[in-house]
Amino acid sequence: MTTSKVRPTSPDHEDAYDRPVIERLIAVSFTLSVLATVGLGVTYWLGGQPQVEGALLFVALGGIGVGIVAWGKYLVPQGPYVQERHELRSDDVEREAMHASLGRGLRQLERRSFLLRLLGASVGAFGLINLFPFIRSLGPVPGKSLFLTDWKPGSRLVTASGRVVTENDLEVGGLLTVFPEGYENSPMNAIDQVVLVRPATTDLVTRPGRETWGPKGYLAFSKVCTHAGCPVGLYQQLTQQLLCPCHQSLFDVLTGATNVFGPAPRPLPQLPLYIDGEGVLRAQAGFDEPVGPGFWERGA
Amino acid sequence: MLVAPSTALAQPATSTPTPSSSAPIVYVNPPKSLIPEGRTLFSEDCETCHGVDAEGSYRAPNLQGLGAATIDFWITTGRMPLADPTVQAAEKPPRLTNQQAEAIAAYVTSLAPGGPGIPSVNLKTANISRGEFLFSEDCAACHTITGVGDALADNVFAPSLYPATPTQVAEAIRTGPGNMPRFGPGTLSNQEVADIVRYVEYLHAPNDRGGAGLGHVGPVTEGFVAIVFALGSLMVAGYWIGGRATR
Amino acid sequence: MSTLEERAYKAADEIDERFGSARFVRNSLNKIFPDHWSFMLGEIALYSFVVLIFTGVFLTLFYVPSTAQVVYHGSYAPLRGQRMSEAYVSTLNISFNVRAGLVMRQIHHWAADVFIAAIVVHLLRIFFTGAYRKPREINWTIGLTLLVLSIINGFIGYSLPDDLISGTGIRIAFSIILSIPVVGSYLAFFIFGGNYPGTEIIPRFFIIHVLILPAIIAALIGAHLAIMWHQKHTQYPGRGRTNRNVVGIPFWPAYAFQAGGFFFITAAVLAALGGLVQINPIWLYGPYIPYKVSYAVQPDWYMGWLDGALRLMPSWEIVFGPTYGGHMIPNVFFPAVLLPGLTFGLLYAWPAIERRFTHDNEEHNICDRPREHPVRTSIGVGVLMFYIVLFFASATDVLANFFDTSLNLVLWTMRVLLFAMPVLAGSATYLLTKEVGHKGEVGEPKVPVEIRRTEEGAFVFGELAVVGAGADEKIEPLPEELISAHPTNGNGNGNGHHAGAEATAGSDVDGNGHGHPGVLEVPRD
Repeated sequence: MTTSKVRPTSPDHEDAYDRPVIERLIAVSFTLSVLATVGLGVTYWLGGQPQVEGALLFVALGGIGVGIVAWGKYLVPQGPYVQERHELRSDDVEREAMHASLGRGLRQLERRSFLLRLLGASVGAFGLINLFPFIRSLGPVPGKSLFLTDWKPGSRLVTASGRVVTENDLEVGGLLTVFPEGYENSPMNAIDQVVLVRPATTDLVTRPGRETWGPKGYLAFSKVCTHAGCPVGLYQQLTQQLLCPCHQSLFDVLTGATNVFGPAPRPLPQLPLYIDGEGVLRAQAGFDEPVGPGFWERGA
Repeated sequence: MLVAPSTALAQPATSTPTPSSSAPIVYVNPPKSLIPEGRTLFSEDCETCHGVDAEGSYRAPNLQGLGAATIDFWITTGRMPLADPTVQAAEKPPRLTNQQAEAIAAYVTSLAPGGPGIPSVNLKTANISRGEFLFSEDCAACHTITGVGDALADNVFAPSLYPATPTQVAEAIRTGPGNMPRFGPGTLSNQEVADIVRYVEYLHAPNDRGGAGLGHVGPVTEGFVAIVFALGSLMVAGYWIGGRATR
Repeated sequence: MSTLEERAYKAADEIDERFGSARFVRNSLNKIFPDHWSFMLGEIALYSFVVLIFTGVFLTLFYVPSTAQVVYHGSYAPLRGQRMSEAYVSTLNISFNVRAGLVMRQIHHWAADVFIAAIVVHLLRIFFTGAYRKPREINWTIGLTLLVLSIINGFIGYSLPDDLISGTGIRIAFSIILSIPVVGSYLAFFIFGGNYPGTEIIPRFFIIHVLILPAIIAALIGAHLAIMWHQKHTQYPGRGRTNRNVVGIPFWPAYAFQAGGFFFITAAVLAALGGLVQINPIWLYGPYIPYKVSYAVQPDWYMGWLDGALRLMPSWEIVFGPTYGGHMIPNVFFPAVLLPGLTFGLLYAWPAIERRFTHDNEEHNICDRPREHPVRTSIGVGVLMFYIVLFFASATDVLANFFDTSLNLVLWTMRVLLFAMPVLAGSATYLLTKEVGHKGEVGEPKVPVEIRRTEEGAFVFGELAVVGAGADEKIEPLPEELISAHPTNGNGNGNGHHAGAEATAGSDVDGNGHGHPGVLEVPRD
């Protein structure tokens, strides 16, 4: 990439870089920039429009930039010039002097090693205690929170708008997001959320102990993915699978939401259901395991 | 704290019968006069797989009792007749006209009644905001929040909603075609379906105030543009400014 | 003397009167910068950062960092009447009601994407040219830290609007923190102020994003540049270039103009994108509601490798004991905590690792040509390939949809490619560089081999005598008159140095401990 076609006699002489064509182009560049800036002002005054603003900003800023770069490349001395690298390290005399200065204090510290250790202990301890406000004060300890949801024995299933779910609400092949009654608007709805599906009952493989959990073909699973916590909102009603959109964990509905593909390590916890005397769907009890992604304090 | 829209927008679960002029959706079965034409068309295009009486075979499902809306959806979106039986039926230019679709629907419903009629959606009273709320709750998980569609598991995919007409959207919601879940009146009222249809219609030409929409796919395309176009052009500019090593 | 010169000299004198700055100013203006396009990559990052600050300040004047729920009655009809956080409403407000708001917001987001992209290509340049070696190890560490902090700040930044897609990302972040053994649940509850979602994370993210991290990043950038300034930039081998000099353009006026102009060009490209290409249209996504989710949700590109790792990881989990009372190292710990830890640990340790194997403790101011270092280059290419595959793996669903094929197939293909591609690319690179690379100064002509047949019929290999320009020219150092304006004279004012002259350390030591100043003297009338 050469810089100049004309070799000046001396690279630094003032006239060496007079190049009228380039200067004119730079002038055009700056002029376009000014015009674009004026345009920006007009656009703003008229109420603004993002695409016009973007295009005009491009010309306004680009005009300045291209002009300055061209100035710096074609109208000023380029060299190449040479400069020595000074030795980074100082010479040995300097270093000795530095050691001497450092040593003046260090020797005193070394002589009083016991005090030094106490100093270390006091500063270190105070440093550690700072962790208390900066970390501990930030929030509550988890306690049992991660093991609990608001589903209790007899909790009625409600939709997001608070409507109670009855036994005829869902078609076969239908899907609904439900919450324990009273908690559909609470912050805990992120944890309590349950996906209610109604597959055709012919091919269900019920896990031992869960025979009564799915009345009239209704199955309820925690909607919080056991992988990373996203809502498992995709229901493929023919292949009878629940798919999590975040990392494509696949759960087989007919075998109790077993994880069959993708990164999810555990099936979705199932909520045991029953239908009460008024045809309303209720939970028999809460979940039999913590919902959602894993954490240190839980086992299998 | 993170809640559904305020109760002012809540709709009753089952809509009470209203005068037809303001009903959000009216389900109409095709007129019986179309049955003879339907029978002819059915024997030409559908019988081989679905059986003489639409009872199904190992090749194709039983169509009896599914309703006119189901038949109309599959034909008017061009999914039927099936081009390739080994993959999920894809939307393509329909082989049959709307009238012919109605005729076949009329014939099949005459074989066995049941299922919803062809919906006619009244968009004038539809609430677009309610539609957005319901769409993001029930539809976005498969079709994406902008309705562009995406691949699901095991060779299933949720199609793009851009070509869908209001009738087809309502039909799909009510009949749950293929792997799509079925949202009956117990899950979504007619007004709610109309609201969703209104929002899907909006998605055909959403507010792209920020500029080129990049297909509304999201951060994937945005990252591509940032790296290839922005960084790329800046590196080209850097090449102009800095030059090469040979000096 | 023109009035501009008069005024400038007077002003500089006044400052010198108070700070004694004349020598420093002169040394700075004369400083030589090697120029090559690959040295401008870090600048792209720097200028993007300036744009981020500029647009970011604007945004802070309108954004409300609060999760308090309000009913929206603004101008975007499809969301009217819905309840959402104040943070989301304020972002809608910026996008629809504040004049120039949307273009500022979009420039900010584009600048963040480009900022990190530039840092990554800059890192690759540093790595493949060995510019992290002595004396620049500390700057490598600072630069890596800048990368980590920028990625974190970017994630936090696009989570501030509290929209459906970024909110899903925050949920995943909570689960990742949760997965850390022993302390994970405590850390997650402390950071979020309780169980997910809580009300604290948005305000906390806000102050981290606009104050804490930008302050640290700005300080580190300052240190990064100061160190580079002091140690001088590296340069590629070439005519007249040695390990003890810098050859290039002077800071004033050439480099200052070129760099300054490049800032405006960078800002121009970012502004063009900011107005013409839509990014993060949060009004189409709706507010974040924990039981809602969209499909085709990817994070911004620089988090893509993490998302891909989460998707490709098989469903393994380490469990001991029963549900209540046992313990678990959850699945996401491995791709989302262990992998990044190993990644950045390896990167931080790399200068030391290389030193250990090459036993090279020399000061290196000449960049390597990547092809001359087969081992480093092929390791770098292989490792880079690993992360590129992870990056593409975050789009498995989009790719499956685009290529009209099975999602399961795409996933398995990516899993295979994750290990196959680095091995293949690394090996291919090794073989190529071994073949192509050669030690020696650039500029030496590679002598072709001539195969001749003797009269007896034997084949003879010999070096061909090349005729033509440059064939037998030795590479001369730059001629004297092009190096200095004034030839060497006795008064020590204008100093001429041959290229390659040994540094005379220790002589003419002034108070700053520097040797001779740079040789560029602009004649003054």
